[in-house]
Amino acid sequence: MTRKSLSYEQLLAIFACLALALVAHVGALPVWVLAAVAVLGALRVLLGFRGRGAPSTVVRLSVAALTVAVLFLQFRTFNGLAAGTALLALMAGLKLFEAHNQRDIYIIALSIYFLSLSALLESDSFWLLAYLIVVCWLTSATLLRLTSTVPLPGWQSSLRYAGRILGQAIPLALAFWLFFPRLAGPLWQMPSDSGNATSGLSDSMSPGDISELALSDDVAFRVHFAGAAPPAQERYWRGPVLHDFDGRTWRQGRPAMLSAPRIVLQGPSYRYTLNLEPHAHNWIFALDWPARWDLPGGSLNGDFTLVQPGPVSRPIDVAATSYTHATQAQAPLGGNVRRHDTQPPPGNPRSVQLAQSLRDAHPDDLDYVHAVLDMFSQQAFYYTLTPPKLADDSVDEFLFDTKRGFCGHYASAFTVLMRAVHIPARVVTGYQGGTFNPFGDYWIVRQSDAHAWAEVWIAGSGWLRVDPTSAIAPSRVEHEASDTVRADEPLASRWQRRTPWLMETRLRLDALRQLWRERILLFDQDSQQHLLEWLNIPEPDAQKLVIVMTAVLALVFGWLTWQVRREVDAAPRELLLRAYARLCAKLADAGMPRLPHEGAEDYAERIARRRPDLGPVVGTLLRHYSRLRYAAAPARASVGHFDAAVRAFRPRSTPPDSRGS
Amino acid sequence: MATLRQAATSKLRAWAARRHGRDSLPIKINRRRVYILPTRFGVMLALVLVAMLVAGLNYNSNLGLGFAFLLTSIALVTMHHCNRNMLGLQVDVSTVTDAFAGRDATFEFVLRNESKVDRRDVEIRCLTGAAIRSVLARSSESVRVAVPVAQRGVVRIAQFELRTRYPFGWFHAWTYVQGSLTVYVAPAPEGRRALPPAAGAGSANSRSDVRGDDEFAGLRAYEPGVPLKHMAWKVLARGAEPAVRSYTVSAAQPEWLDWSLLEGQDTETRLAQLCLWVLESEAAQRVFGLRIPGREILPSRGAAHRFACLRALAAYGLAEAE
Repeated sequence: MTRKSLSYEQLLAIFACLALALVAHVGALPVWVLAAVAVLGALRVLLGFRGRGAPSTVVRLSVAALTVAVLFLQFRTFNGLAAGTALLALMAGLKLFEAHNQRDIYIIALSIYFLSLSALLESDSFWLLAYLIVVCWLTSATLLRLTSTVPLPGWQSSLRYAGRILGQAIPLALAFWLFFPRLAGPLWQMPSDSGNATSGLSDSMSPGDISELALSDDVAFRVHFAGAAPPAQERYWRGPVLHDFDGRTWRQGRPAMLSAPRIVLQGPSYRYTLNLEPHAHNWIFALDWPARWDLPGGSLNGDFTLVQPGPVSRPIDVAATSYTHATQAQAPLGGNVRRHDTQPPPGNPRSVQLAQSLRDAHPDDLDYVHAVLDMFSQQAFYYTLTPPKLADDSVDEFLFDTKRGFCGHYASAFTVLMRAVHIPARVVTGYQGGTFNPFGDYWIVRQSDAHAWAEVWIAGSGWLRVDPTSAIAPSRVEHEASDTVRADEPLASRWQRRTPWLMETRLRLDALRQLWRERILLFDQDSQQHLLEWLNIPEPDAQKLVIVMTAVLALVFGWLTWQVRREVDAAPRELLLRAYARLCAKLADAGMPRLPHEGAEDYAERIARRRPDLGPVVGTLLRHYSRLRYAAAPARASVGHFDAAVRAFRPRSTPPDSRGS
Repeated sequence: MATLRQAATSKLRAWAARRHGRDSLPIKINRRRVYILPTRFGVMLALVLVAMLVAGLNYNSNLGLGFAFLLTSIALVTMHHCNRNMLGLQVDVSTVTDAFAGRDATFEFVLRNESKVDRRDVEIRCLTGAAIRSVLARSSESVRVAVPVAQRGVVRIAQFELRTRYPFGWFHAWTYVQGSLTVYVAPAPEGRRALPPAAGAGSANSRSDVRGDDEFAGLRAYEPGVPLKHMAWKVLARGAEPAVRSYTVSAAQPEWLDWSLLEGQDTETRLAQLCLWVLESEAAQRVFGLRIPGREILPSRGAAHRFACLRALAAYGLAEAE
């Protein structure tokens, strides 16, 4: 093939495409890799602009060796998505640096396609997909201009043509996507790239520190209830349970690793589907108390928290059933757990003293619990998201000095007061409440709905949920303070809170996002099975999927073929001439060839004279022909009629009267 | 590898020739004769697509799979468009110009596109020569393909090839056309001898005499290179074989370019010298005749005459001449 050197424009175009593809990786790839690719590409384009070729082999090799070595030092491997992508990006940059013929551009284009894919592998964003399709379009348009001949088309027409091909590819891609059989699990386990932990609940809680979760508008999960939703005071989504307290920080401790104790479920049950967003841990935030769930490997741990074997690194759907109440009347509290959950809190002497004096007044466990809650509601305790910082004896300071805090402070203080008098108690974290989205019939639970409450062991009935935060009088909840105090809240979300239509728009967008997630991101084997069932195909399996896929592809392909054929069809005028030639050939077979110098009208006249039997039909046909032939622009349809009439015309070779008599 | 490929190509060429038979130009390329295969880059793309598919399945990423499928579909659609770029194109060879040994023989192909879509980057390959051109919608382009010819003689081309890699260079579609092209490769015009003088009184006989003496001398069969104004259009219109009106030039003192003037030199040198003389005489608008063993071309002038002379020189001593 022609080995032309590359023009400045070609280099610039492919560099721009590569840069656009790498924009999708900003934040995921090491900054120096992006910078290196940018510098290498810019240098090459500059050389091209000056009319010079690629740099010398020595320069190229040393740059390549240096950058790849640094990359290896950073990742220690080239395996895995992050390292592999970084290597591919670097290679594409190096290839551009040494680009000197068309082949190099083709290879860079392939790298761009693969880089686009790797950005999508761990993403769920519609916008990223749309953006990368645009990048793919631009890259294809660049390739289109590579086999450059005279006259080179304008960019506009290249973009239009590449866009047309892209548009025609979309139905095919849809057919592939819908019917290509999905696997139940991965082909092989990829090295996981954990470390880019996403936001979410953590496995410890320090009421002394300010919770940043409260400020996050990120969605933790969405829930769709099959029937009615439980009332707000029952919507506790159970996360990790914290047992160990060092005076300042609560941690999970050992009981979580035990197996779940037996409980008796009571009260109304709720069926729901949880659409969990990824987070750094393995908790599934099921509604308290989970009874059944549809999750491979899912189980209840010793704290009744639903967990799965590994972290929730991808969005998952869990269908589950929960009961709002449970008792453990028959089963006594295990010694191990009891030991853990009655550990006297270290330090905090004033709290221990307070607890003992309260206990003296209320010997019954439940009475004591209520006494503590009454204290929270009657004394001047305030709920605020920006409490003062606390030092080491955090519970003492909170209860006696600051008296301001959020759920963590209250749950922590309550649990400490329980343990101080040997009532088993623990802190439960998770989410509470949620916002209903009327546009999608589901609840949105955000990180700002994160909550902490307490559980106390009441002999004879088991663990009892107590939410000390709810004891705070509504008048002492500093809602509105947020506008002034939470200066770090993004301006946009503050606006949204104040503008109803913005709130509505936001909910509508969230409903769309939910649809996207359900229909596209989580499309799997099950969905394919439903699809086949919907198509009335009995006993759907992978083989039938392939058959349906092939059939649909064949249909779409056939349609494309027809489209293409129609495009290359000659203009109507050519069809007309062909039909005329056919008519003349038929007449020639019938013994009446057209003379070379004869026009259509003369021909018709001669035939009418010599073969009166054919005259009228041929006359009509030939007059039709002349009318079309000398029309300014014959319509395809009327030419088609003429063609059909000619095809239907079967002249007899001898006039009927010649053998009749 | 290269020889394997060559062997496969020549087999394919022969098979295509048998399959389609001889083509009479102009020919319209129909879909039965267009072949298509992925290029090197197409194979590379296929490998990348397989890798993309495996990655998408392994990460269970519906977006990744969607992107991989979109690219796959683009490749499939591209196959159609590559094929389309050739379909319905009409090919003709307009003229074959002079060719001299050691230089390029130029074939002029005409590509006609009657459809409403542009045909871009269509390459014509003919022996070792190739040229690439775009033919916009409802237009035609003439494409000159220069084929280097080393030796004097008659070069017959039984087959030439049209191919395209448009749009993305992932596929190449091609077709073979079995149109016979003959090119007479005249000897390279070389020599140090001056033009022989005209017989008789020299060139004083003015050109006006020669022109005035042009007489209609009847019809003869058409041959390429005849000036259009000599075509006998009325004959053609009657449906008979194309014919030309021939004129004789009764110049009084024609100049003879004679083989025997170059006694003592070997054949090729003589032919080269004669070729140079033909060109010089024609450039000087002289009336000249050519005499070589076994062939005598009566004195005349003009493009057709020059062409006939060069052809005679090209075919001299060759079995398949004429």
